[in-house]
Amino acid sequence: MSQNLARAFQPEEHDLWSPAAPAEGRHIEAVLPRDQRKARPRIVYALTASAGMAAIVIAQLLLSVGISQGAYEISTLQASQVELGRTAESLSEDLVKVSSPQNLAANAAALGMVSNSNPAYLRLSDGAVLGAPGAAAGTPEARSGAAGLVPNALLAGVPLVTDLPPAGAQGTGISGKGANGRAAGDPAAPAAAPAAAPAAPPSGLPSPSTH
Amino acid sequence: MPPINTTTGSATSARRRVLATVVVLFLVVTVFVIKLVDIQVVRADTLSADSLGNRSVEQTVYGARGDILGSDGDVLAGTVMRYDITISPRNAGEFTRTTDAGKVKVTVAQAAAEIGAVTGQTGDEILAIIAGALADNPESDFAYVAKKVNVDVFRAVGDLNIPWIYFEKNPSRVYPNGAVAGNIVGFVSGSGEPQAGLEIGQDPCLASTDGVETYEKGADGVRIPGSTVTARQVVDGGDVITTIDTDLQWYAQQVLADQAQATGAAWGTVVVQEVETGNLVAVADYPSVDPNNVSGTEPRDRGSRAFTDSFEPGSTFKSLTAASVLDSGKASLKTGVIAPYRYLPERGGNINDSHGHDDEKLTMTGVLIESSNTGMAKFGELLSDKQRYDYMKRFGVGTVTESGFPREDSGILHPFQKWDPQTAYATMFGQGLTTTALQVSSIYQAIANDGVRQPVRLVEGCRQADGTVEHKAATNGSRVISAGAANDTSDVLEMVYKNSWVAKKWEIPGYRVAAKTGTAQMPNGKGGYSRGYLVSVSGFAPADDPKYVVSVSLADPVKMNTSAAPAPVFQKVMSQALKKYRAVPSGTPAPDLPANW
Repeated sequence: MSQNLARAFQPEEHDLWSPAAPAEGRHIEAVLPRDQRKARPRIVYALTASAGMAAIVIAQLLLSVGISQGAYEISTLQASQVELGRTAESLSEDLVKVSSPQNLAANAAALGMVSNSNPAYLRLSDGAVLGAPGAAAGTPEARSGAAGLVPNALLAGVPLVTDLPPAGAQGTGISGKGANGRAAGDPAAPAAAPAAAPAAPPSGLPSPSTH
Repeated sequence: MPPINTTTGSATSARRRVLATVVVLFLVVTVFVIKLVDIQVVRADTLSADSLGNRSVEQTVYGARGDILGSDGDVLAGTVMRYDITISPRNAGEFTRTTDAGKVKVTVAQAAAEIGAVTGQTGDEILAIIAGALADNPESDFAYVAKKVNVDVFRAVGDLNIPWIYFEKNPSRVYPNGAVAGNIVGFVSGSGEPQAGLEIGQDPCLASTDGVETYEKGADGVRIPGSTVTARQVVDGGDVITTIDTDLQWYAQQVLADQAQATGAAWGTVVVQEVETGNLVAVADYPSVDPNNVSGTEPRDRGSRAFTDSFEPGSTFKSLTAASVLDSGKASLKTGVIAPYRYLPERGGNINDSHGHDDEKLTMTGVLIESSNTGMAKFGELLSDKQRYDYMKRFGVGTVTESGFPREDSGILHPFQKWDPQTAYATMFGQGLTTTALQVSSIYQAIANDGVRQPVRLVEGCRQADGTVEHKAATNGSRVISAGAANDTSDVLEMVYKNSWVAKKWEIPGYRVAAKTGTAQMPNGKGGYSRGYLVSVSGFAPADDPKYVVSVSLADPVKMNTSAAPAPVFQKVMSQALKKYRAVPSGTPAPDLPANW
């Protein structure tokens, strides 16, 4: 039985490892050293593979930690971008509003300016006067806001430059209405305030610097 | 026989091992199958709902409706983000707020008062909103507190840290220049639907498409990188670039409104058109509508009459007849006619002048200075009805202009075959047909532009969100009359400007101007004429090198029912246009043509 079994296994080993080898006694000797020789490289391979896998796992962990960290950073930055975008939009809305012709005309009129619809020109090359100069007749009273001839509901509550507190007083700026927001925490507000303040001449008449 | 024993023993243990393995495998598979059924079938709905709600977030990305811009980039209509403040009434209750001083309990009444202080409501009003919503539905989870608040209010309410307050984005339309060009720009409804003016006419350019994107978030609400899926791409609307000069538009509206109020006019229009290009620089309507506050204006005054209402133009139309006759060569500036007070032509009809006078020997110049209907009739009958009809058509009468304004009126010009003798003569001096203010302006533009009519242009083009501009196809002008006839007509109109009875009221020192007044009866809406008049002035300057056409109309100025009412408006708006665009004052003297023979 056992021999039969052994016999039955032997040809299979023959077929597997060296189908060409005819001898029965030789192959037992030959197999063992080969196996031993093979065992050593296998361990090296296994170690290398394991180390590689460990490295990959660690790298992946680190990467995912990095990505999560980045996600929080992106999230914070995006939130602040949205906030800044809102601030920018709100400020440009205020700016466009106060640049409307109604507001400009009302402020110019409040400062005592008169529109002259009587065009005349001085030609610099020969000093000739083109057109027929005459005194300004003035324009229909320019009021801003809803009360004006050309109303603008958005200007309700926007003060004229003449109604603003004197330059140097802190705060308000031109966005008088918007000040109830978070003007204090608004990074752009301090920059906007000085620009919006009326440029009152300190003494005497302001003189343009022309050459 | 140890080997045999060993072999038998190992075979048995192998069988056992196989059996054990099979059993263990079976158990493991069974556990997996049970778990699988549990997850995939039993708890499937709950789990998938949980996972979606917890991790996957769908959000609308709002596309911005495009701006409507003036010719120099001024924003006439723009889109801003507004916020609706909403509340969950069933959750409205006391909560704890962490402040610098530690944890503080805040009652509903307190919270309501805080919200009201920011939104301009009283605390009681907000409590009433909560109570009202709960009365309708005790489980109510949604009610509006305030709609369309700006960023400042949005932030201030957000800073209150009230857990049952939520916000919704609500992109809204804003018109920074108020009523400046309000009648042309139009407005949108509360829900953003275009209602009037260019908002409707240019909607294909302006409209945006909202996008949808889905992303996944972690348990702490932070968006997981790379998980964003765009289901629908957001498309911003394009910007409409108009030819309107915001400052001149404001000035024209201001001057028009001032004079209309002073003379008690029902309404009025001013059209300023660039001669060379046909661009509409300003189209003023009185009363003006402020698109930010549409309800402040009567519904009938919310459109632009300059585009949508046509009236019998009256004597300003005589320039067209004169130009046609001069172009045909049937008469020259030296041709004379005898103008009686009453003229009864052989083919029928009855033509009177506005004031009684003896027979006058007038040239074309004289006829226009006197604005004599009988004199004009004698020149006009030199052409056949068909010839005059063809000239009118070429000048753009009876046809909607190229401006692209919605619901623009074409005016009424019946085919010449249907003219009875009275109508045939009436059309020579601007009765028996109707024109819009725009068409009158266009007639003068053709005369000023050496006889070449340019298409009326209000919209320069559509600037897409990616910066590309689709310009309206620039069509070349069409020659209506010869340059010689146009210049002769211009010279005649200059004589009118110098010698008219309103000469003092429309004088612009330093410039040569060509202009004509008109006074036409207005329909009473019942097929007859009312007692009111449509008084108008149309003209262009500088006459030696025309730059701008200004056409002013005032309807029924009860305190001054003559052309003296619109003349000062013409003078001011024309002066402003010449000044603004630095038109060089005229160097040469005006021609002197005889009015009589």
